[in-house]
Amino acid sequence: MQNLIHTVIMNSFVVPALIGGGIALVLGIIIIITTKVFALPVDEKLEKVRNILPGVNCGACGYSGCDGYAAALSSGEDTNASRCPVGGPETAAELADFLGLEKPSFIPQVAHVYCQGTVDHTKKRYDYSGTISCSAAHGLFSGPNSCTYGCIGFGDCAEVCPYGAIYMADGIAHVDSSLCTACGLCVKACPKELIEIIPKHLDAYTVKCRNKWPGAQTRKNCTIGCIGCQRCFKVCQYGAITMDGPLAVIDQEKCVRCGECLDVCPTGAIMNGLMLAADENGHPTTSGLHLWTDPREAAKAKAAQAAKAK
Amino acid sequence: MKELLIILFSAILVDNFVLSKFLGVCPFLGVSKNIKTAMGMSFAVLFVMVLATAITWPIFNLILFPLDLNYLQTVIFILVIASLVQIIEVFLKKVIPPLYSALGIFLPLITTNCAILGLTILNIDEGYTFVQSMFSAVGAGLGFMLALFLFSGIRVKVDHADVPKFMKGLPIALVSAALVSISFFGFKGLIEQLFS
Repeated sequence: MQNLIHTVIMNSFVVPALIGGGIALVLGIIIIITTKVFALPVDEKLEKVRNILPGVNCGACGYSGCDGYAAALSSGEDTNASRCPVGGPETAAELADFLGLEKPSFIPQVAHVYCQGTVDHTKKRYDYSGTISCSAAHGLFSGPNSCTYGCIGFGDCAEVCPYGAIYMADGIAHVDSSLCTACGLCVKACPKELIEIIPKHLDAYTVKCRNKWPGAQTRKNCTIGCIGCQRCFKVCQYGAITMDGPLAVIDQEKCVRCGECLDVCPTGAIMNGLMLAADENGHPTTSGLHLWTDPREAAKAKAAQAAKAK
Repeated sequence: MKELLIILFSAILVDNFVLSKFLGVCPFLGVSKNIKTAMGMSFAVLFVMVLATAITWPIFNLILFPLDLNYLQTVIFILVIASLVQIIEVFLKKVIPPLYSALGIFLPLITTNCAILGLTILNIDEGYTFVQSMFSAVGAGLGFMLALFLFSGIRVKVDHADVPKFMKGLPIALVSAALVSISFFGFKGLIEQLFS
């Protein structure tokens, strides 16, 4: 009896365990030996660059991932250390320090909605009572708004924003720049392609309009749209404004933010300023149309007050 | 010889691993977006299939079977395949860097590929000899390559086609995969005719 139990235990536990364990052990030893024999000298510079990068592997730098960017940087193939938007200025500075590259000027970016056609400025062509979604409304005669290029205002962009940086007011979307991280999800969500990622300067002049109608038709449908009068195009000395058909477009790279185009725009389609702060209620300090106050206006008012006081 | 050819061709056409046994469907859908990556994956699979069979067959027939430990085959085979891929990766990285970078990410992905494990277990189940197993492994690898090559070609075409929005992406890929699979059923009975 004792013997039988002994053999059963031997055969059904010890032998399989030994076989399995033995094979695993042999394989483990072979792996260790091969890794030792075929070890590659590790590129220390590459390793360090790789460690500085955040390791999200998002591909926003234009390479396949952090490894790709690290390889390009350490081999000297790429000398721009500011390609990583996730790491931001800190990572860029650290990379530049380590690689001895020129200190990059890292400009943060922000999403920007190219439409000011609030309910005050546009009309409704029909009563829409379908699914509350821009892409659904866009499918039905390009949406209910009188301007078929403008924001529909059902908030597909606000829905996808993981940071709560987009809010809807007066029938259009607004971006709170203090919360926006320029991830670009809203850009993809907008069926009208109204959102773009632009540099986050305090003075950001944009033609907040995307309509391609001739001026007369624009005036009929929206009181604040770009009518293609070309005044800003003519006044810009830096070649930053180009005409895309009847629509003026400001090149953010060339723009020096002088503000001359703003003064000549007859409809107010050009505007300045990104919303950069929130008030005590957590709402962006600027809302709707009055998104900013012209510092020159403020100075004028101050001067007038001073004159009155005298 | 005739028998070996039958094994080879039936593994490629009739018993195609992807299209009639439905093994390795994840790489079939995952890396078939263009022909280049599909071929990279197929070469890696072919390579590992042949090596895995060459190692698992002796392990089973010389160690597990004589000791009556058949039930251990799945565990041991997974262990062997995983370590094998590790060793191959390290080896290729040093000795043949171009092949290593060509196979790229696909080599480690194969570690958990059911087609490899399925092949090694099926070889045992069919009672193949060592040479027969090797032919079946080469056939299975070539069959995988054929399926992936055909399917990636179809997907490249579908990319440029006007697909309804709700069918874009994976839905249309699954439908076309089903159609390719059905077309392979046409090969049933072909092999007996071919070598008779």
